[in-house]
Amino acid sequence: MNPGYLYTIAGLLSFSALGVFHKLADVKGCRPSAINALLYAWSTVFSFLIMTAIQGDHPAAPGSVVWIAIPFGISASIAILALQAGIRHGNISTSWLAINLSSGIPTVASILVYHEAVSARKAFALVLIVLSMFLLWVDRSRQERRRAAAEAIADVQCCEKEPQ
Amino acid sequence: MNRDARLWMKLMLIAFVANGLGPFGLKVLSERKLAGYQPQYLFYWYLGGLFFALLALFGGSFRVNRKEVALGAFMGLASFCGQAFTGLALSHNVPGYIAFPLTTGGSLFLVATAGILLFREKVGPYGIAGLTLGIIALVTLSAA
Repeated sequence: MNPGYLYTIAGLLSFSALGVFHKLADVKGCRPSAINALLYAWSTVFSFLIMTAIQGDHPAAPGSVVWIAIPFGISASIAILALQAGIRHGNISTSWLAINLSSGIPTVASILVYHEAVSARKAFALVLIVLSMFLLWVDRSRQERRRAAAEAIADVQCCEKEPQ
Repeated sequence: MNRDARLWMKLMLIAFVANGLGPFGLKVLSERKLAGYQPQYLFYWYLGGLFFALLALFGGSFRVNRKEVALGAFMGLASFCGQAFTGLALSHNVPGYIAFPLTTGGSLFLVATAGILLFREKVGPYGIAGLTLGIIALVTLSAA
């Protein structure tokens, strides 16, 4: 068997573990800002070690590389912070989907900025992404309405039981 | 716990746009013929993220507890391993149209299953339809 397929499965399990850890951090009451900072601190250390120890490279790079990297890194950090804060108000199953669906954004940006061709398959996937986000919103809103209705019924029952 | 659907949607839209823009830098890098600096780019990319994360952390209490340190380390390792293993798979001649749909679509399926089975999350019929369409969309997009 090609070891590449084992690496693919290891990659799949690693990304899945990341999603589960996001939920676990919320269940354990960890603060989103602390989780975001520590995730990035450790990732910076890992990327530095790989670059220097394994690839034998050094951090020196042209200024343009640094100035492209920093704002896009900040953008990704904002995303992780919003995801971790959002899990408090929703499910990991749907929140993880929302953040993964964002892989449609670079496709749209490439079309708009670099005038890349839009194949029928890409266009179909982008329409599905919008539809999927809409369905997640409908599902979350319905859950909220059901919860509010259940609370209202519980309040009425509570008032009825109280002695006059 | 106070769960607010509107706030969730707002945060998810921020995460959706910001997370989508994050990897676009790699495209800018390759368009400017700087792809050879990818390891340095990733290091500064994480450093930029860390800079913002520390600013956000300084906004509140700077103290972190053991749980946060341990989970942050596991998450950093999982994120890094996910990218490294996908890179290794590609370098061992696994075609991108197999590696990317499997890692993105597969992780979505596993995380959704874990959410429902391990954390007892309730997902309604619209949510299940959204999840199914989302997995199909990601598999289609990464195989395109």
